Amino acid sequence: MAESFGWMGKILRVNLTTGEISSSDDTEWQKDYIGGMGFGYKLFADEVPMTTAPRAPESPIFFGVGPLTGSGVPCSGRMNITFLSCWSKGHSILDAHMGGHIGPELKYAGWDGIFVTGKASSPVYLKVSDDTVTLEPADHIWGKGTFEANKIMTEECGREFQTAAIGPAGENGVNYSTLNTSFGNSAGAGIGALMGSKNLKGIAIFGTGAVHIADVAKLQELNNYMLGELIGANNNHNVPAVPQSWAEYSAVNGKNRWSGGPGRCYEKAEGGPIDTEEQPYDDINKIAYRCFKGVFDFGEVATHYAIKSGGCQSCPIRCYTEYDMDPLADYDLPTYVSNTCMPIIYGQYFYLGNENGEKVDYLKDFKYEGDGKMIVCGACSHAVDDMGLWDNYGNLNRDWRWLCESGRIHEFISDAEYDSIPWQWQRDCDPRFVVEIIRRMAYKEGKISDICMGTLEWTKKWGLDTKEFMDQLTGVWNQAVTYNGYPKHHSSEDSAQIGLLFNSMYNRDCMTHVCTNVAQSGAPYEMQKNTMEHFFGPGCWDPQKHYTPINENKVKVSVFSFEDKNLHDSLTVCDWIWPMTQSPAKKRDYIGDLDLEAKFFSAVTGVEKTQEELNRDGLRIGHVLRCLTAISFQNELGTANLRTEHDAIPAWVFDKEPDFKPFEEGTIKMDRDDMEKAKDMYYTALGWDVETGIPTKATLHEFGLDDLADKMTQAGITLK
Amino acid sequence: MSEQMLEEKKDGFLERQMTRRQFLKISGKSLAGLTISATMLNLFGCTQQEVDEGVVTTWATPTGLLVVNGARCVGCQRCEINCTLTNDGKCGAYISRIKMARNLHIHGKDGMYNQNFTYFPDTCRQCKTPACGEACPQHAIYADDRGVRVVDRDKCIGCGACHDACPWHMPTIDPETQKSSKCIQCGACVAGCPAGALQIIDWDEVTSAAQEIVEA
Repeated sequence: MAESFGWMGKILRVNLTTGEISSSDDTEWQKDYIGGMGFGYKLFADEVPMTTAPRAPESPIFFGVGPLTGSGVPCSGRMNITFLSCWSKGHSILDAHMGGHIGPELKYAGWDGIFVTGKASSPVYLKVSDDTVTLEPADHIWGKGTFEANKIMTEECGREFQTAAIGPAGENGVNYSTLNTSFGNSAGAGIGALMGSKNLKGIAIFGTGAVHIADVAKLQELNNYMLGELIGANNNHNVPAVPQSWAEYSAVNGKNRWSGGPGRCYEKAEGGPIDTEEQPYDDINKIAYRCFKGVFDFGEVATHYAIKSGGCQSCPIRCYTEYDMDPLADYDLPTYVSNTCMPIIYGQYFYLGNENGEKVDYLKDFKYEGDGKMIVCGACSHAVDDMGLWDNYGNLNRDWRWLCESGRIHEFISDAEYDSIPWQWQRDCDPRFVVEIIRRMAYKEGKISDICMGTLEWTKKWGLDTKEFMDQLTGVWNQAVTYNGYPKHHSSEDSAQIGLLFNSMYNRDCMTHVCTNVAQSGAPYEMQKNTMEHFFGPGCWDPQKHYTPINENKVKVSVFSFEDKNLHDSLTVCDWIWPMTQSPAKKRDYIGDLDLEAKFFSAVTGVEKTQEELNRDGLRIGHVLRCLTAISFQNELGTANLRTEHDAIPAWVFDKEPDFKPFEEGTIKMDRDDMEKAKDMYYTALGWDVETGIPTKATLHEFGLDDLADKMTQAGITLK
Repeated sequence: MSEQMLEEKKDGFLERQMTRRQFLKISGKSLAGLTISATMLNLFGCTQQEVDEGVVTTWATPTGLLVVNGARCVGCQRCEINCTLTNDGKCGAYISRIKMARNLHIHGKDGMYNQNFTYFPDTCRQCKTPACGEACPQHAIYADDRGVRVVDRDKCIGCGACHDACPWHMPTIDPETQKSSKCIQCGACVAGCPAGALQIIDWDEVTSAAQEIVEA
């Protein structure tokens, strides 16, 4: 067999029912489907009837990595997991994503993915040691939290192994459940419940191999190019939050995800405080000090508890501030905590309530002024990670907040259950309160745990009008920009119509960061505009809260965002850093390099592709997503009109801020007619039928997807 | 070369040797308990408190003083990545000559699964009397013209005796090539560390810093 670069060339197949373990060649998929998400979608399109119940034994899970995973390309430590949704509208295909170190390890073990089907007769974990693959008994770790389960698997297999485990939430079939690896790295979207339904507690992987590189000198040159003049901080923010002597600009409002700087110290570093100091954009040995995410999340008080910054394999940015939050020791809770996103920034929602019709906030300081939020968030993050509970990009927290802050919680749960909740801990800002609520949710204790079924299901079960809930509630209580059960993930507030369009593409929150990375970078608007117009043409980039009607170039940005996100999860590279749109380098006029993914792809794999060709592959994967979603909707709801059933936008998006009219300065209140026009233009640009929002027959033919067209026809869908 | 220049060169060599010998005595040990001059601390990029608390380790190697500051290690494995890209033309962790990932989750009582953030890279110590070289039945591990112990790939038969003999199991047999991958002090790990947790400081610089102490 010829030497393969980038890819390992084979997929591991595991049938948990029969115990059969086999391997299949993936060479044929590499050209059009790249890897990761692309391989997952190809597998589901070819092998999985969309009528499959998500928790049925035959319902598969695909753990996928791509040609760049583990190749040494910066921020390529990702694993993409594809499966069927047990909670969002249509119960269709979706993905969960995890960082840490396990994705690259799968490559080093010689695999591009693991396709798991069936159900084990008793708890097991999957052990992969190069080509030696076994199912190990997991009765002794079933019931344990993810930290302990990962520890035991690592002790049993060896410390070189990378492991991931589900927690009690997944074991108990909670829709909002995760798979956790390393410290705070988790894949969400209900993967825990699917693995739990299969009696699959975890996976442990170790590889002695390596990813072969077609042109290693070129790869090293590109690494230095990216790290020396393109990469910024987390979300690729390209100016420091506070002034640094080398930098022409700092963040407009003094805050962004490049929060390290002189005097901002990791005060709890071993051996005494480490000052994050200045980090000139071209100093590769100081990149890790740029982000200091804790300061972005909680302000300078975070410095008192910070030890260092961690994160995923191959990433120099380190977006996980690692803390020793010693006040938690007073409550017998773990003090070492770390996370980077929702688990550690929305914990304070559990300390909001209502007394005598008035909203109240029970946060208090622990040791330093203003540390209340971070201490309860620390407790929250460790608890959700240990229990393996997912928050659906904050919907869990928002729904809880609505129940408590609106004062309506008592309407829905019994007196006995209400009285069993330790409310005094909430009023005292006792960190054990959030830990106890999380525990109840993971163990499905009480009616309150229904909110982890997902916003769609619990509002229906509790007799609320779900559409009204998503239409009328605004701001902190509801951020739905579709009626599909998930919130916006950086939407119109950053990029007006552009964001709303790509937010409706998936069967979970979109995870698309292409636009927010620019919009929230802290760079002056003129700098952002100059860069975006350089890539996408005039008029493509509005100032925030002063947007203009839809136009062709804005549609271009939205199409690119959709394609590129699919590409990242297929390559796999991190969506929170890539693409390199902006640069921190004045000598580049702060313009990044959107062709860098293709340059890396060619250097690693030896397959020459332009960025346009790679993005076209991203679009192909998008077409598959759309077709499979349409089939699910046809099966479950009797209609495949995704424009009206999947992409509909709740009323609050258009009706908020009654004093404003759309397009006025100061608002992102959207215009209904303009958004409908935006959808027309977007669907047309994608090659989709404007009436239904699904790919046309001609488009599917053009992308080599005639088989999928046949499947849609067989499902009763009329294609144009 | 004039006699004076020759004398100066000889003196410089002796000074470097003296400095290296001094550091060899403490090589591989924590610097805790030693008082380090401000100049030297500056050179090492660390503080006296870090020295006192044992997070800084130095190794006297032929090409310079290797300084590992565990407090600064962020666990990204870029040292392993750059090691293998540079030396193997491919990217892996197991065959890396510097080993970080294995310390991340469980390392004795430390590591993330022991609920703390103490982790750091293990490096080849370039031992004066190398167990790996002593154990090699092919005598394939030899000192090159820099004094660095490297593997003669023509002689290496991939038996793994070097891996077994090293107390820290630093040399590893690449299963694809059946050759030992032992550190050759190329410096790729240091150059690419995004946190500056690793340094190889040239003996001239160490000697010069030590000289300043004497002169002071």
